[in-house]
Amino acid sequence: MKKLIYLAVLSTLLVACDEPSTVLNPVEETGEKLFYQPENFPQPSYDFSKNPVTDEGFELGRKLFYDGKLSRDGTISCAECHSQPYAFTHHGHSISHGIDDKIGTRNAPAIQNTAFMDLFFWDGGVFDLDFFSVAPIVNPVEMDEELGNVLEKLRATEDYPEMFKAAYGSEEITTEGFLKALSQFMNSLVSANSKYDKYVRNEAGGEFTDQEISGLSIFKTKCASCHGTDLFTDGSFRNNGLQIYVRDPDFGRAIITENAADNYKFKVPSLRNVGYTAPYMHDGQFLTLKQVIEHYASGVNDSETLDPELKKNGVLGIPLTETEKSDLIAFLATLNDPTFISNTAFAAP
Amino acid sequence: MKISNKLYIGLLGLSIFATSCDDDAMGDDPNATNTVQIEFDNRFGATDIELGTTKATNASGEEYTLSTLNYFISNVSLMSDMGEMVSFPDQYFLVKESDAGSQFIDLPEVPSGTYSHLTFTVGVDSLKSISDVAARTGVLDVASYGDDNMYWSWNMGYIFFKMEGTAPGIDNRGTENFAIHIGGFGGKDAVTPNNLKQIDLHLHDVSVSESSSPQLHVIFDVTKVMDGANTISLMETPAIHNPMVGTSVSANYVSGFALDHVH
Repeated sequence: MKKLIYLAVLSTLLVACDEPSTVLNPVEETGEKLFYQPENFPQPSYDFSKNPVTDEGFELGRKLFYDGKLSRDGTISCAECHSQPYAFTHHGHSISHGIDDKIGTRNAPAIQNTAFMDLFFWDGGVFDLDFFSVAPIVNPVEMDEELGNVLEKLRATEDYPEMFKAAYGSEEITTEGFLKALSQFMNSLVSANSKYDKYVRNEAGGEFTDQEISGLSIFKTKCASCHGTDLFTDGSFRNNGLQIYVRDPDFGRAIITENAADNYKFKVPSLRNVGYTAPYMHDGQFLTLKQVIEHYASGVNDSETLDPELKKNGVLGIPLTETEKSDLIAFLATLNDPTFISNTAFAAP
Repeated sequence: MKISNKLYIGLLGLSIFATSCDDDAMGDDPNATNTVQIEFDNRFGATDIELGTTKATNASGEEYTLSTLNYFISNVSLMSDMGEMVSFPDQYFLVKESDAGSQFIDLPEVPSGTYSHLTFTVGVDSLKSISDVAARTGVLDVASYGDDNMYWSWNMGYIFFKMEGTAPGIDNRGTENFAIHIGGFGGKDAVTPNNLKQIDLHLHDVSVSESSSPQLHVIFDVTKVMDGANTISLMETPAIHNPMVGTSVSANYVSGFALDHVH
């Protein structure tokens, strides 16, 4: 009898132990709304203890993300240049248009898996996601608004004070609450349900074709030194041998570090959802993945800061046969996550 | 004339100081604390500045007026003649020429004693510059600046020092306006230029007691911004917005701060 009770207690304990891990790790669900940790991802960089994602904070962030009030004249929301069907990029725009149809200088990157990144923007000028949103709001060619004005406009609405109260317990609309709500929304944009993810996690739907397996193998030997981990970026800044424009060159990372050794270096982008995020590179100069692959195979330009990975043994670029090129493109297609671009929880409220 | 004026102010300060010493002797509680006030008085040399009106000429012969002059002061501390530091951590001040009230900084609850040094940082220290948004309230709230922005969003960090104005004959993208924005705390993920500057001013023994609440009158000579160890020409650099270029300016303005007198 004692033994039975002991077993009963033990089994309850086991159940209790199991439960929290499923709560903390709701990975398998597709269409996941709030932040979760995919098992094949590294640990997040974002400190969630300072800003945990809640239903109410997420909803506030989502509403803000889609609200033109963030711009001077009410016309430009974050979603203008970060559109969900294109993995939160500006479809069809090499460089983005903002307010008054003014043109920026760089291609709007995908907003995905932000919690796992240390530095933001092509040049890494922002090191804290909570401060990321200030830049497009105040940029004269993007939203051209003062942050204080945005908060004033939100205070004058019926619904925002209530939403701030629901998220933070007070109707007061503060800089912190505003910026952290946007972070909550962005941190919830986890994309980890591609065919590749299912393949590495041995899940249904993850069966690779021979060509995709070959493409993955080529990728691992020839691309993963930069596009590393299952985030498909090592987060570093590199010069990948694009043509350097004589007039008005973009110095990239060196604009921030003011170190000539960083000239023309840009953040290695994640390749997740790369099938949805054309055009490519910091200035959107390549319209197709084929052009991108051709660039690495035969179009790399030499310069003082060219990444050594692109000039091995004095040879420019990455040698690739025609078969290898098509296999790589087939593999890259497995990084598309259809649930990410169709999840209605991420769409305009 | 300039020298005799300074002498007069100095003597006046000395006499007030002597008076406050007398007060001390009249049985003040030695454990009492009192407030020390610092006034930041921006001048062209000895001349008071009126924004948009008062003219100065730099060493390059360029005449200019100011429209904006703002700077952050942080990490203020007083050192006693016994070598003890009284610090005011986590207190940040934004001094603006356009806002008289912002030019007076109160240091509360300073223990009774004699103080020989005043030190402060021009700028927002690196720890605060990388802190969570929750720790950035008051003058550090990035939404608080309106038209008079003191924060770089693209290269995240505060503009420590901002001086803007007009200089006839210069060409800044078709205008005669110049803008000198100095920031850069050294970088978080990479080593970048650092324009944080510590100022150490000798106080000649300032007494704080129950009955003595001194005011330290600090003059900032704005002409030093362009004319110091480095000569800055507005014709050549009408717009400074990068920490690296800013290093020659911040190296200059450190010599602009001086304790003029004590009330």
